[in-house]
Amino acid sequence: MSTRTNGSGSNYEYVTARVRSRRAKLFDEDDYRKLIRMGPGEIARFMEESEYEEAMNALGARYSGVDLIEHALHRNLANHFDDLLRFAEGRLYDYIARYLRQFDAWNIKTVMRGIYSDAERESVETDLIRAGEFSERRIERLLGAESIEAVIDVLADTMFGDALAGAYGEYEERAVLVPLENAVDRAFYEALIAGLPSEPSRATQLYIDFLEAEIDFRNIENALRLSRSGADVDPAEYYIDGGRLFDEEGIGALVANTDELVSRLRESTYGDDLDAALNELESAEGLSGVERALNRALLEYSRTLSNRYPLSVCPVFAYVLAKMREVDNVRAIARGKEAGLDPETIEEELVMV
Amino acid sequence: MANDVKPTRKELMAIEDRIDLSERGHDTLEQKRDGLIMEFMDILDQAQDVRSGLGDDYEEAQETIDMARAIEGDLAVRGAAAALKEHPEITIQSKNIMGVVVPQIESSKVQKGLDERGYGILGTSAQIDEAADAYEELIDSIVLAAEVETAMKKMLNEIETTKRRVNALEFKLLPELHESQEYIEQKLEEQEREEIFRMKKIKNKKEEEEREARDEVSAEESEETDRPEGEVAVTSD
Repeated sequence: MSTRTNGSGSNYEYVTARVRSRRAKLFDEDDYRKLIRMGPGEIARFMEESEYEEAMNALGARYSGVDLIEHALHRNLANHFDDLLRFAEGRLYDYIARYLRQFDAWNIKTVMRGIYSDAERESVETDLIRAGEFSERRIERLLGAESIEAVIDVLADTMFGDALAGAYGEYEERAVLVPLENAVDRAFYEALIAGLPSEPSRATQLYIDFLEAEIDFRNIENALRLSRSGADVDPAEYYIDGGRLFDEEGIGALVANTDELVSRLRESTYGDDLDAALNELESAEGLSGVERALNRALLEYSRTLSNRYPLSVCPVFAYVLAKMREVDNVRAIARGKEAGLDPETIEEELVMV
Repeated sequence: MANDVKPTRKELMAIEDRIDLSERGHDTLEQKRDGLIMEFMDILDQAQDVRSGLGDDYEEAQETIDMARAIEGDLAVRGAAAALKEHPEITIQSKNIMGVVVPQIESSKVQKGLDERGYGILGTSAQIDEAADAYEELIDSIVLAAEVETAMKKMLNEIETTKRRVNALEFKLLPELHESQEYIEQKLEEQEREEIFRMKKIKNKKEEEEREARDEVSAEESEETDRPEGEVAVTSD
């Protein structure tokens, strides 16, 4: 996969039509409720009769149980996102490619975590999602890397190379992965909006609007976590530039005062969307419920955008988010069932829209 | 045992001293046992609460980490766990409960803030925070349970030992000493009776001899009185 910037026209009509048809095939609430009441074997069987049939059959000989489900989910996700790139042309291709680099960022972090925690290569491989821009060869080289330094060498010629090289000194000093993981995430978010025209077209503006909303939701999530934990951390360290809601200077004061942060969020353009999440924040002790409510709000917001602008990049990104959520949900059900969690607990953890 | 002792008055006095000491020791040990049982009951109540809390904390921690693994993936959880650089510290001191030395375990650096756990915020979620919180609480519960249960076991051992000592005194040593005391007293009484009997015998014998001597003397005297006057006793040359 490579980024095409040949200036040819984008085919929004074709891609959004394909996306709409694929979106209709996503699991709905009834499917999740059925899955929650099944064991891992039954879930695998259910998936064999669904959208995941091809991936399940292809991987059935190599894996079994929940590993098979997880590999099939990842392969299916990667196939769908590759299809998106295959369908897209022109500027739309570029936007989708930029957005899907989040899986490259995920894979880099997964490989680094594997090395850092001395995990087996197989368990690292299970967690990789090959839906980004990296080739199979590069992923193999990443999996073969035996040290963090080797990972950085493998990535030297990618958009993550400079950021990782810059953060390596801090990693050596503190011996924690935080600086490297932050560098990877920042490099991804910076590249999302880098190089866009200063006077964007309507299509580009919608792309920017969607990403700004996603970055805002990410910043809200981080601000709430920091605010609730009371940790002595500079919020600017975790601030992602590019959103509309916060700026780097102002976020520190908001994190220090949870009430002010909440009232700011209620008054923001996302106020109605975030209502459930903020109510959850006031009633719940932990933040995972708030995170779920935020994820739900982001999915609903992305769907609203895709309905409002049906011939734009918004339906495509809304589909990407929904598909990723489906994979997370099915994986949570399968792993939760494997761990013996009760159906009610698992259902609470799912994000269904 | 009774047959092994010498039935002497000195031995009897020594046994009486031992009985006195043993009875005082028995009373003291009984008081100690009762005191230990009372302390043990308090610790037992505490241990039951701690044990039930430990079970709940373990279940909650397990559930949160299972959920974090299910949602974030195993590697994300392992990576976050491996990021911890400052590990909890445990200091063990001791305290004395009725002569029983029990440990007093203090933990520090268990409950950590988000900034002390070593993992980043961008690459993780609140699920991992909740799993970390739950495990930190579990470690505190384990430390408390270790302290209370060790104290409970030591108290239990001490109660058993004290009980054995009380029983040994009550059912073994004191009965044997009383038996020995009785044996010596009987023997001494017997010896006394024999002595009296012997004395009586000697006295009777002496009296008999005296009586015989007296009878002899009186017989001689009566013989001399019975001979006529002028009659000279003829004596052969």
